[in-house]
Amino acid sequence: MNDIKRYHPLIIVFELWKLVRNSAFFALFLFVLKYNSEAAFVRYGRIAFIVILGFSIVHIFIKWFTHKYKLDDTSFHIYKGIFTKSKQTIPFINVQNVNRHTSLFHRIFKVTSLRLATGMEGSDATIEFTVISPTEADNIERRMCVPILDEAKTTQPSEGEKGVSPSGVQPEMQHADRTAPHRMIHFKPTKKDVLKASFTSLSFLILIPLLGSLYTKVDEIFNVEKEAEGLLSTILSSWWLVTNVVIGLIVISVSIGIIRTFLKYGEYEISSDTNRIYIKKGVVDSTSFSISKQKVQAIEITQSTMKRMLGLVEVKLISAGGTNDEEDKQEINTLYPFLPVTRAYKLISEILPSYEVTEEMTRLPQKSLWVRMLKPSWFWLISTGALYYFKPKLLGWEHTWWVLSIVLFVCVYVSRLFDFFHTRFTLNHNYIQIKTGALTTSLFVSRRDKVIEVKVTRNLLQQRLGLASIETVQQAKPVCRTTINDVPIEMARAFYTWYLGRTNEINVK
Amino acid sequence: MYSQINEPQQRLAKDFIKVTIINDTIENIVWYIILGVLFYLDHMLEWKEWIGWVLISIAIISVIASIWSFISPFLVYKNWRYDVSEEFVQLKSGAIREDHHLIPMTKIQAVSTVQGPLLKKYGLCTISIKTIGTSHTIPALPKEAAVELRNQIAAFAKIKEVE
Repeated sequence: MNDIKRYHPLIIVFELWKLVRNSAFFALFLFVLKYNSEAAFVRYGRIAFIVILGFSIVHIFIKWFTHKYKLDDTSFHIYKGIFTKSKQTIPFINVQNVNRHTSLFHRIFKVTSLRLATGMEGSDATIEFTVISPTEADNIERRMCVPILDEAKTTQPSEGEKGVSPSGVQPEMQHADRTAPHRMIHFKPTKKDVLKASFTSLSFLILIPLLGSLYTKVDEIFNVEKEAEGLLSTILSSWWLVTNVVIGLIVISVSIGIIRTFLKYGEYEISSDTNRIYIKKGVVDSTSFSISKQKVQAIEITQSTMKRMLGLVEVKLISAGGTNDEEDKQEINTLYPFLPVTRAYKLISEILPSYEVTEEMTRLPQKSLWVRMLKPSWFWLISTGALYYFKPKLLGWEHTWWVLSIVLFVCVYVSRLFDFFHTRFTLNHNYIQIKTGALTTSLFVSRRDKVIEVKVTRNLLQQRLGLASIETVQQAKPVCRTTINDVPIEMARAFYTWYLGRTNEINVK
Repeated sequence: MYSQINEPQQRLAKDFIKVTIINDTIENIVWYIILGVLFYLDHMLEWKEWIGWVLISIAIISVIASIWSFISPFLVYKNWRYDVSEEFVQLKSGAIREDHHLIPMTKIQAVSTVQGPLLKKYGLCTISIKTIGTSHTIPALPKEAAVELRNQIAAFAKIKEVE
């Protein structure tokens, strides 16, 4: 079990496929488009291309022979390097979350890929298996639970910061867990949910730019505009044809939207056991995410204007092991992004019993509205300056610049007004809830022991009016700062004292 | 701001003002030499007209900034306070915008003292405190006090939280 292992041999195929995909463009350019070219850069380019390609292929093979890994009871050991050997040890306890991504490629070969994100800085922050057999992935993922279990147990007697579930019940449940993890499914979208989601995300609108670009492409080749003039006038002349075409387009775009949403969010599944939360999504390209409940740093509930109208929210779990990788920005730390509000709150209390979300929150006092209104808007000042200088004319209308400036001014102040009305806060005994945002609101819930630092600032105006701005810092990647501006000074004091109280609830070693 | 907890009391070293002003003066001199060279080149090589305007506006901003750099050290010194307890580091600074920081000891990852040539001449040290995601500095403390504080923070911060 604890042997040094090589990575899955299919990694070679996967890497070769990636190499082909990445070099296809150069190959096409050098050998097809410039087929007859005798230019020096093409000639040397071809040589360089072949040499680099050869090295890359050799590198892929050598990499497979030299890179190895080992699992023991507490940590990962990773061996790599061709000339310079390196060995890295990562304790399981440092792994913040586990990500599994099964693309079409993986599906064909019945394998998957696995990423373990740690909270560390630098390029070694994630342990990645680009190809791994599902059984091995399961095996690794299962190990992630074990040390946390042990730790939870040792800290249990000392009135922990955890309180994963009401203490007393936990020990037996943990024992049961060790043998057979009991997973409970909390949410699976119904057909109705998917339909709602596809309308909310407005994905059916995608057809418009698509049709537009298609039209211009076709137009370039066939010069449709001239040819179709006759056809177009016949179509336009008969109203029923027009209606049919329009209805047809709407039906097509709506169904495309629904299919897209279904492929993305259809097979969503949120489940949890006593220690971990699991999120699965995707029909063809499936991704799954799992995180230990203790490693959830905060919860963020966001709501766009559209979602507010439909009563939907998006719930995000903030984890310390974020991925900076572009490739992996799949927003998988999101519990279903189109949850009905009440369902979302119920879901949170189900999967994270240590978090409490209340809907009773305090509004800002009237005077903070004045501070917001009096604050100069640098954005507006600068853009007005630029508009005045350039005086752009929209459709030859020379008053464009000052009208635009007024429109901007109104937008800025309306959004400030919205922000004022949306901003709310609450200090529960060991939670803080902050809600901000003008059009898209975000409600931020964090536990006191997860906040790594607090800050209170007061500018001159705030000092005069008895207001302050407060900020919490969460461990995430990059660090997640949540600010709420212009709260009453008493609140800021309470906030400071509240944070000092964290010493009573943390366990130290 | 501080109803239930003690306001931080410790101040920076008085020499902070002197050191900062000397430092700023050196920086200002270097900057004005560069600016002067640019003006000279602009005049000699007859660069485009807008470059001249840009240079003039930069010069005006620089003058304001250098006047400010002679006032600000006094304000910074007057308003800087810090304190270290067994559980928290407290920092307070700023005259126009008051900043209060509360950093738990258990979240501190590294603490170090830094000393440049100027600070060395006056026997001062800067302390920098790093947490998981943020970093803070306490500028200009007397060397012994700084080393003591560093060791104190290091001793307190040795304790780590169980996550």
